[in-house]
Amino acid sequence: MAAVHLIEREEAEASVADVFEAAERHFGQVPNLVRALANNPTLCRSITEFMIAGLRPGRVDWGFKELLILKTMRSMKSYYGYGAHEKLATELGVPVEKMGDLANSLWQSSSRFTEPERVMLEFATQVARDANDVKDEHWQRMKAHWDNGQLLEMNAVITTFIQIGRIGDTLGVCDPVLFTKPVSSV
Amino acid sequence: MAQLPYTDPETADRVMKAVFEDTVKRFQMPLNIVSVMGNAPEIGSKMIQIYFDILQDGAIDWTTKELAILKSTKMGDCLYCVTQHEVVSERLGISPEKQADIVGLQYQVSPHYTDRERALLDLTGQVVLDPEQIDVETWANVRKHFNDAQIVELVATIGAYLQISKFGDAMGVELEPVFHGRPSVLFAKEPPKSAAAARHLEHHLAPAAHQ
Repeated sequence: MAAVHLIEREEAEASVADVFEAAERHFGQVPNLVRALANNPTLCRSITEFMIAGLRPGRVDWGFKELLILKTMRSMKSYYGYGAHEKLATELGVPVEKMGDLANSLWQSSSRFTEPERVMLEFATQVARDANDVKDEHWQRMKAHWDNGQLLEMNAVITTFIQIGRIGDTLGVCDPVLFTKPVSSV
Repeated sequence: MAQLPYTDPETADRVMKAVFEDTVKRFQMPLNIVSVMGNAPEIGSKMIQIYFDILQDGAIDWTTKELAILKSTKMGDCLYCVTQHEVVSERLGISPEKQADIVGLQYQVSPHYTDRERALLDLTGQVVLDPEQIDVETWANVRKHFNDAQIVELVATIGAYLQISKFGDAMGVELEPVFHGRPSVLFAKEPPKSAAAARHLEHHLAPAAHQ
């Protein structure tokens, strides 16, 4: 049982009705995390809007964003939605072998990852460990492969899924599936 | 120097201009953490809205939320957030003495804290360290003082400040000039655990660094 009541659409305050509608349009359903957040309509709105902005094609390929989310969750020992993100990555065409290679240090030597991908996975693990200690040299390697907008987007996705993981793990929310509609239509 | 460029409010696009206007209205200055969002306004503007929503009275009053912010950002060794929120907290009436007692477990015995605030800070510490370790007693104390809307607001606030700390620190976002050299109450009580954060603090306090 979650730490807070999961709000049903019928009992939701009128002020979150459009948030539920936006979630359903994007995900095909209202994720349980959104139902938990609906206890607080103001934050339900802004956090859901960020999730919708992050979980879609952006400046960076969505499949790679999912790999960053999965590696971040592993690094933070976060459980909320891990299976859902594996499912999502699969639907986005990420091979399961590549997802498996996210484990421990396997990604560092796996031939399934390119150098631009590896340098960002290194960033995700460093941010989880100690964000104060991302070296200038590491930023130079990242900038050799990615532009400023892409780097901002990836940092936002990595750190926001640290936040979402902490919320889900603390409140005991389970979302085995995030998208019930084809991701190709997002 | 920050690793990504700050956006100039004068030349910002429509989305960022609106964000800058809101930021100046709320915080009297553009803020570097907001300026850096201009590198990807479509995602940065959504992210920053979460903080606009937290930094006001909500299901929990702003002053009480500041305690969770100070605790979580101190635990995250975030010089930028701690410095900013020491100033905000003092403006909201949280004395430096009370701020200092938030460090470690001092708040549990400090006369500056109520049982409600102690319950909030116990939860904050556990959420930052490892939510899997939150025990029955912590939840019981939290539920004694907070309803579901407040629990969501509290947990979202802790998560958000864990996020923004890491987001800004990873990019080396600097404190605005008005804060340069300002000694930190919390880091004076207990230095950063991260060696890199300790170097940032040393640089921040050195007058020569800002000349």
